[in-house]
Amino acid sequence: MSISHLFEEMGLSAPVMRVKLMGASDQEMEGISREMAIGLSLDEMKRVQEYFAKEGRDPRDIELEALGQAWSEHCCYKSSKYIMKQNFMNRSFPQALITSEDAGVVEFDDDHAYVVGLESHNHPSAIGPYGGSATGVGGIIRDVVCMGAQPIAVIDPLFFGSLDAREEEIPEGINHPKYIFSGVVAGIRDYGNRIGIPTVAGSVNFHRGYTGNPLVNVGAVGIAKKKHIIRSRVGGPGEIYILAGGRTGRDGIHGVTFASADLSSDSEEKDRGSVQLGDPIVKEPIIHSCLEANEMGLLRGMKDLGGGGLSCVSGEMALDGGCGAIIHLDRIPLKEEGLKPWEIWVSESQERMMVSVLPRDVDAVMHIFKKWDVEAVIIGEVVPEKHVKALWEGEEILNMDLDFFTAGPEYCRVTLPREVSREILEADIPLPDRGELEASLLVLMEDPNICSREMVFRTYDHEVRARTVVKPYVGDPFSPGPSDAAVLKPLEDSWKGIAITTDVNPGMCEIDPYRGTLSALDESIRNLVSVGARPHSLTDCLNFGNPERPHVMWEFKEVVAGLSEACIAFDTPVTGGNVSFYNETKGEGIFPTPTIGMVGLIEDIDNRIPSQFQHPGDSIILIGRLTGEVGGSEYLKQKTGKIQGKCPEIRLSETADIIRFMGECSNENILSSANDASEGGIAVALAECCFGEPATGCQIDLLSGKIRSDFLLFGESQNIMVLSCPPETAETVLELAESHGLMASTVGKVTSNTFEIAIDGNTAISQSTGKLKQTWDTALEDQLR
Amino acid sequence: MKVEDIRVCILRMEGTNCEQETFDAFKRLGASPEFVHLKQLEGRDVGGDEARSLDDYHILMFPGGFSAGDYIRAGAIFAARIKASLSGDLRKFIEDGKAVGGFCNGFQIMVELGILPGMDGTMSEHPEAVLHSNDSGFFECRPTLLKHTNRGRCVWTRDIPIGSIRLIPCAHAEGKLILPLEEADALYERLFDEDRVVFQYCDRSGETNAEYPYNPNGSRFNIAGICSERGNVFGMMPHPERVFYRHTHADWYRNKVGSEEGDGQVVFRSVLNYIVETF
Repeated sequence: MSISHLFEEMGLSAPVMRVKLMGASDQEMEGISREMAIGLSLDEMKRVQEYFAKEGRDPRDIELEALGQAWSEHCCYKSSKYIMKQNFMNRSFPQALITSEDAGVVEFDDDHAYVVGLESHNHPSAIGPYGGSATGVGGIIRDVVCMGAQPIAVIDPLFFGSLDAREEEIPEGINHPKYIFSGVVAGIRDYGNRIGIPTVAGSVNFHRGYTGNPLVNVGAVGIAKKKHIIRSRVGGPGEIYILAGGRTGRDGIHGVTFASADLSSDSEEKDRGSVQLGDPIVKEPIIHSCLEANEMGLLRGMKDLGGGGLSCVSGEMALDGGCGAIIHLDRIPLKEEGLKPWEIWVSESQERMMVSVLPRDVDAVMHIFKKWDVEAVIIGEVVPEKHVKALWEGEEILNMDLDFFTAGPEYCRVTLPREVSREILEADIPLPDRGELEASLLVLMEDPNICSREMVFRTYDHEVRARTVVKPYVGDPFSPGPSDAAVLKPLEDSWKGIAITTDVNPGMCEIDPYRGTLSALDESIRNLVSVGARPHSLTDCLNFGNPERPHVMWEFKEVVAGLSEACIAFDTPVTGGNVSFYNETKGEGIFPTPTIGMVGLIEDIDNRIPSQFQHPGDSIILIGRLTGEVGGSEYLKQKTGKIQGKCPEIRLSETADIIRFMGECSNENILSSANDASEGGIAVALAECCFGEPATGCQIDLLSGKIRSDFLLFGESQNIMVLSCPPETAETVLELAESHGLMASTVGKVTSNTFEIAIDGNTAISQSTGKLKQTWDTALEDQLR
Repeated sequence: MKVEDIRVCILRMEGTNCEQETFDAFKRLGASPEFVHLKQLEGRDVGGDEARSLDDYHILMFPGGFSAGDYIRAGAIFAARIKASLSGDLRKFIEDGKAVGGFCNGFQIMVELGILPGMDGTMSEHPEAVLHSNDSGFFECRPTLLKHTNRGRCVWTRDIPIGSIRLIPCAHAEGKLILPLEEADALYERLFDEDRVVFQYCDRSGETNAEYPYNPNGSRFNIAGICSERGNVFGMMPHPERVFYRHTHADWYRNKVGSEEGDGQVVFRSVLNYIVETF
């Protein structure tokens, strides 16, 4: 059916079409949505039709484009809002200062707040790995800056398909995981390094489930004086809108509508224009100039232009301040001639900031931008009436009620549980002899989800700004081991530290989204307490497949329930986050992936705890009970090729006990080291403890408690910690643990060179630490070849 | 003069991004550092009280970063802008015996400017060396051990005993010092003879022929930093400002007791002492 008769040139000074929606049939409306690629459903189109009928006119193309963008999943969270509200309403935490904006603002000390944001940049990174991940970093940095905070750290949890994926496993139009991996890492490297913000934490995960849909989640943390925190809303009518930074172009058109649909085989061709292009060297002066103007008290409101572009930002900033806005669209500086008004209005070009300024401060603000060579133009003003209007050479080309424009639809989607948690028949996995245990450990050490990521982190500048006091790799400078979390000392005149970690175990979430989420939170917490920090707040980036599929919506519901339960149990508010749906290619969705970014505080960085064993002779203490639960484990995957079984049980009350116990250990400074056990179980955790100092080993004797040796060593029981301390303080540590209701026992001592584990007195593993370390060190590089 | 009267110009443009920690280093030692945007020296787009002159300062510092994105060549754009508007002022500054220093991108800028190695005078017309891509092909953010091999010429390191080894991290993609190939041997010989090699990468036993990762970029003779003939102009690839305190060392927990002084602090103290004594 041709629908060209529904579009009519309006004869204005700018090319604007009238779209004849009045009286259009259902079929015609679907055709319009498809033709314009605005992604609105028939029901949504009917709402639009109704609104304009009341206005007594047909919409213009620019108005429909604006609605398509504002009502996209990415912008208005129409599928997730309902479940989020059910779980997170009416709960308040004193430390969370602002949780409703682009990034969460949380109390750091009496005078300072830290700002955290975490979001996804999945779809663009699948199509253009380098540009996609780079702009992901840029976007989250802007989210932090627009709260008035100086960014101090970038974190980046990444998820790719298996590095050994065969050509036939890769959906048409999708690149090989190796290619996507190197592009994404290079994008983060080049952008993060250039803007001078250290990339301090992150994770790299490889699973078949991400072959068609890699995930690039990017987070940032900033610090600000409380008095400099600024809102993303206007102060009142009469204020002036100044648009600063990069020019507006055709890159990033339909970015959010693209992010709100499944990928297809021609995505690489068709959707390339949706991928924004970043420029770190425009960004860096924007950070300086915006923060300078803000600290001088010259700004009333500030918001970055990300997904949603000028359209969403000018409307939302005004409405959140109880006002409306008029934008002179012909004043926007362009990258190229000939952009149509609607393209300018919805473009998601990078490196742009909107500030709202009192008329008397305009000159001072413009001067600061000029000084930093940041292009800035006055593009509009704030008005009392809650409408957004766009003008072109004085002629109105867009006029919508803001309540209508910003009130996107909200869906209560159908959920349908799928089967989870199958028991594993132990008999299906042959009982290994000693040699096989040693071999299994080596295979685990080179597993892409366990082996060292040092080669990735060395390409990120993780200590620019000279505030990274626990780096991603610590210990011997030339042969370091992994740290559990990064710690920064953000202020010059305070010893208080901020610890950052990011975790999720996608396999666990696949077999049980609810418990998998708890396990991600539990691991985040154990990572933070391992470095001596007290968990303080969390942010999440929830990645899923298509929410119109009931199984996916059920996964989402389970994850949110887990999050909600855990944040109450641990007294850690969720301060922000994002939901990314439609991570699907040809009906193949990703594992449910609730990435957790967690922030902890440490009163005095002198109480940091190393992750690795320090001194031969120290006692090694195991906290928690080894249950032999192998469901979802890397070991089971190694043996059966599948992620399967029942997700290990998480006892939230025990995690809370660990927080209190470790808090006291850190305050008393009684530990030599602390590490948590996760992928690969206790055996891998102990090996990692031996990796920070040259020639360290350990001698361990575990009690089997009738558990199979392989399940005992490699099962991924939750709530497990490995500590070391001088032998004379071991008793104190044990008593302290018991006083917090935790199971604790001395299981061995730190030695030199050899890694030895016995079970019930019989040697199970005896291996040189050097061999384990070398296997672990070189595995990723080998697999990337 | 007194240390608090020492004015340090921390020069920046778009893409410089180690300026805060460089500023902090001088401030902590009691000097008076100031952030100065290149445009304030050029007198472009500046308001009444914002214009600055190089003459107002005793130390000129080129901080690390990615000035102008390091597009074209690391440091090339920053250097070209300085050359266009400030070469006379800079020449006088150096010839007055004031101190000029650069770390990482700062070093790259100084080489592009022709003030290092400065084989034949204060500032050469064309660059006399280049800081080339690391042999690994990667950006390398890692700790390095630096042996101080300068016999006393460099005013930025003269408080460091010769032969002492310091743990100072590097973070660069282009740090391999290359001198013109046709006369390289003679030029290296001159650098050593004239006591203008300041730091060399070394291994734990102090060997200065150690390879990757001890030498992160493949620089010949493991050269990490050099100074001018007079010793007042100094550039190095690693970042002493990142280890001003011990708590930012990669192996912070090994020496928990004792001094909080990090291995990079002495670089800043040396040059301040030099200025105090000289002016």
